[in-house]
Amino acid sequence: MLYLLVGLNLIVGAAIFALPADRKNLPRWFALATAVVSLAMTIAVFAGYDRDVGGYQFQRSLEWLPSIGISLDVGVDGISSPMVLLTGVVVFAAVLISWGIEDRPREYFALMMLLVAGTFGVFVVLDLFFLFFFYEVAVLPMFLLIGVWGSTRKAYASMKLVMFLLAGSILVWAALLVLYFDAGIGSFNILELEQAGVDTTVARVIFPLFYVGFGVLAGMWPFHTWSPDGHVAAPTAVSMLHAGVLMKLGAYGIIRVGMQLVPEGASYWLGIFLALAVVNVVYGAIAAMGQRDLKFVIGYSSVSHMGYVLMGIGSMTVVGMNGAVLQMFSHGVMTALFFAMVGVIYDRAHTREIGAFSGMAKVMPKFSVLFIVGGLASLGLPGLSGFAAEFLVFVGTFETAPWMAVLGIIGVAITATYILRLVARMFFGPVMEKWQGLPDANRLETAVGVMLVGLLVLFGVYPQLIVGTIDVSAIPLLASLGG
Amino acid sequence: MSLAWLIPALSVAAFVLLTFAGRRMPGGGAIVSLVAVAAGFGLAVYGCLDLWAADVEVNVGPGPFAMDFVNAGDLSLQLGMVIDSLSITMLLIVTFLSFVIQLYSVGYMRGDPRIHWFFAVVALFTAAMLGLVLANNLIILYVSWELVGLCSYLLIGYWWEKPSAREAAKKAFVTTRIGDVGLLIGILVLFKATGSFEIDQIFAQLRVGAIPGETVTLAAILMFLGAMGKSGQFPLHVWLPDAMEGPTPVSALIHAATMVTAGVYLVARMFPLFVASDVAMLVVLTIGTITAILAALLALVETDMKRVLAYSTISQLGYMMFALGTGSVTAAMLHLGGHAFFKALLFLGAGAVMHSTGGIVDINRLGGLRRKMPVTTWTFVIGALSLAGFPLLSGFWSKDLILSSAFDGGHWVTFVVGVVTAGLTAFYMFRVIFRVFFGEARSDEARNAHPAERLLTLPLVVLAFFAVVFGWLGSQLVGDPFGRFVFAVEQVEAHGESIWVIVASSAAAIAGILTAYSVYQRNRPPAASIRAAAGGIHTFLAKSAYIDAMYQWMIDNVSLGLAAFVAVFDRRVVNDAGVDGAGASVRLSGRTLRRSVTGLLYNYAALMVVGILALAIGLVLAG
Repeated sequence: MLYLLVGLNLIVGAAIFALPADRKNLPRWFALATAVVSLAMTIAVFAGYDRDVGGYQFQRSLEWLPSIGISLDVGVDGISSPMVLLTGVVVFAAVLISWGIEDRPREYFALMMLLVAGTFGVFVVLDLFFLFFFYEVAVLPMFLLIGVWGSTRKAYASMKLVMFLLAGSILVWAALLVLYFDAGIGSFNILELEQAGVDTTVARVIFPLFYVGFGVLAGMWPFHTWSPDGHVAAPTAVSMLHAGVLMKLGAYGIIRVGMQLVPEGASYWLGIFLALAVVNVVYGAIAAMGQRDLKFVIGYSSVSHMGYVLMGIGSMTVVGMNGAVLQMFSHGVMTALFFAMVGVIYDRAHTREIGAFSGMAKVMPKFSVLFIVGGLASLGLPGLSGFAAEFLVFVGTFETAPWMAVLGIIGVAITATYILRLVARMFFGPVMEKWQGLPDANRLETAVGVMLVGLLVLFGVYPQLIVGTIDVSAIPLLASLGG
Repeated sequence: MSLAWLIPALSVAAFVLLTFAGRRMPGGGAIVSLVAVAAGFGLAVYGCLDLWAADVEVNVGPGPFAMDFVNAGDLSLQLGMVIDSLSITMLLIVTFLSFVIQLYSVGYMRGDPRIHWFFAVVALFTAAMLGLVLANNLIILYVSWELVGLCSYLLIGYWWEKPSAREAAKKAFVTTRIGDVGLLIGILVLFKATGSFEIDQIFAQLRVGAIPGETVTLAAILMFLGAMGKSGQFPLHVWLPDAMEGPTPVSALIHAATMVTAGVYLVARMFPLFVASDVAMLVVLTIGTITAILAALLALVETDMKRVLAYSTISQLGYMMFALGTGSVTAAMLHLGGHAFFKALLFLGAGAVMHSTGGIVDINRLGGLRRKMPVTTWTFVIGALSLAGFPLLSGFWSKDLILSSAFDGGHWVTFVVGVVTAGLTAFYMFRVIFRVFFGEARSDEARNAHPAERLLTLPLVVLAFFAVVFGWLGSQLVGDPFGRFVFAVEQVEAHGESIWVIVASSAAAIAGILTAYSVYQRNRPPAASIRAAAGGIHTFLAKSAYIDAMYQWMIDNVSLGLAAFVAVFDRRVVNDAGVDGAGASVRLSGRTLRRSVTGLLYNYAALMVVGILALAIGLVLAG
């Protein structure tokens, strides 16, 4: 099934390229069909993951280059199965939101499918070589998607994004090779490498390379500046995928490769990276408060929220790790919702200046409600999934580093401030003449929004639904760290 | 009381139903939330009788919601509820007042285009407060606590087209959120020390001395920060007067039942923790005392009727807090209950005045309403007398209990402040009464006021009845049933009433009333001459002691300044200088842009390698 998940997107992506250029409708139907099938499969993977059995499930193996130990091994555990589900959801939403793309839809959807295939690939492979390969497959289409279909300084943003991520990749690649040769078992298989282990000194040297290399994609401070620019420049659906899923690849890489393969390095370094993660949270939140462009606010808010993921990882506790993965899921859904809604308003008003709006709740009630719910999730309101995630992160962090947790909690208060300022400014207050009669979110956009809000509520009211799965894999992972 | 879970669940169900279907129901579906909360009240009465008979503390399950909320690693959280005299008392007050206020709202909010949303949020507000009261573990308490905050945000900002309403809503949420940071950290401190979020397990460890003293103090003070935010204690009281921007029934709810009492309840619920730390008790006592007198002073110069009431709430909350600080949960809870009734009464009375005059709240533009609105007038007077602690009314008993507790405990400053505040309270309340209901009408609206309709006055009469009798529950004359009921949670011996305390507080109240009569009815001396004599003091108070101005200055200059700085810093320094490496201040025009990004992969990589190396070296040097 996991092969199918990746392969389907890859093949359809390629197939869309081959479609005749004048049939503008075909690509989107192809993409939608793929997204629906993928979503169904991801739900099956998530629901089918047996918590009582644990470990890796849905495993398959396919030899590729046996001479140097590369094989296409796949499987999911309690950490990757929620990520697979997240990808399925966000992709489905992104395809629907992209329905109105008129500019070269063929190439657009093809690249998108390619990106999705790469993302699924990273989450399901158990082979380092392929993990890295898919990682690049997922990241590179971003360059074109932003550069061609983007707006607002798109050339600059897409270039910067690629530069950053390539630089990160270089670090990861270097560390990866060191790991491969040091382990000396002639295999790229993650499970085998985990068994083999590496020399402690080597672990301490390469862990920061992994952390920073992957961390760039997760919006790690101070290597985050590509992210707000990228978000701002990207078209709506690409922002959704980018912040919703791609940034999670970075955090996932840190967990899967960094922590799992070089635990000695992780336990040595994570205390320091925890402090940087807190900087992420607070700095991102303060920077978001100072923004005027809606997308920049969300962009910095993503930097801040990914900080909670890194905090949870850095706490080196089972509870914190649960929080980190739940936050990855929750932020993915929330930020997809945000960017979808920003797209809604930008399509109609052609501006994203917060100051240009007032009283929009009267003009566009559906849009406003959906956006505000996203905002409430963002500021950690109980009953929405962000709270459960942040709460677990704080409990975990408080166990090991109380002061860091305190700063993180203050970050939540700052978040409340900037979100409420934005909400008050844009949605409440007197209605502006200029925006009278602006059409509300259409049915498709509302449906996407409602679906995402539904997930936020579902996992907010009953987080155990997802935490139960994460926990299964978080416990052995942290045990290997000695935490 | 295995059905206790139904009490909040019913109101949650009402919220869901009204949110999705209320629009299509007659009258916004008010009947749904009324029935839900009435049923909740019925269950609470049943529970109360049950408890009275059994006389034990009970932990009960959450009915069909018995599930793991979160179960991660060594952290496991189930829903659960505690039914004891404290929570039952609150349940009764909250459900009863919520019902009466909703009934009033049916008349007050009639014809409002978003009325279904009003009742939906009020139902959720009630449910959240009930959840908070019933919570047997700190996480459920915190969750409900935050939901209470959300609902107050939505209701204060109910008329969000008005910029003032939208600002007030934001202010309420953000200010209380600052306190909540403390509360959450306090909860985490307790969890770290005890490994549990369950309140009785924490207490169990506290009793055996498993928690170090400093930890107890730290946790108690942090949690008190949360209570300060919600219960409007100085210096986090600033949101409460502004919260008047919501519809008047919302003010009544916030002040009586569903919001500000949460902080007092939290301290009462966690009382064993507070008692275990002298420092924490002293903090509670001091903050409560400052709040009581400061708010009473601010109320003296306020000309907006609803804001006077708001400051009076803050002041009375100060009484409740310092009552807790002196060690008397009974006194605090009795005052909480009595205050809930007469403050709801006063707000609804003010609402009736606004309803009849087209929304006038400025006491200088009202006057002479007693002939037009007799029921409103006399119920308002009863409420004010009770609030002022006039002998034998509800507020009298609770205030005496509080002052006795301070007196017996040797807290002289607090005692004196309490007595003086009682006098001030009587004065400012009767200032309002003489200006609004007596004398001559000072505006056309006041001249043309029409009597309040039945749906508005009926709740007033009901509340007036309780504003007279509720305090008797705590009177020694009838054997102090309230004290015996609540005593189960009390650690410190309850105090009897001392005759000197009674004399002092009654005298203060009567003196206050007489002074107000003299100044505002007989014009001896005229209010203007007092204002002139007070000079700077008057200005100081009229500017809310400059506390708001100070916050505003901090927001404008510190917070936003910092935010703007970081925003620019990130663009100009981290991004342009640090990342693009493009040298001097680059205005990113097309050409420089291209020059600065292409081919500089080398730069990026080099920068990162340098960064990593620096980090590594730093670490090695650090050992």
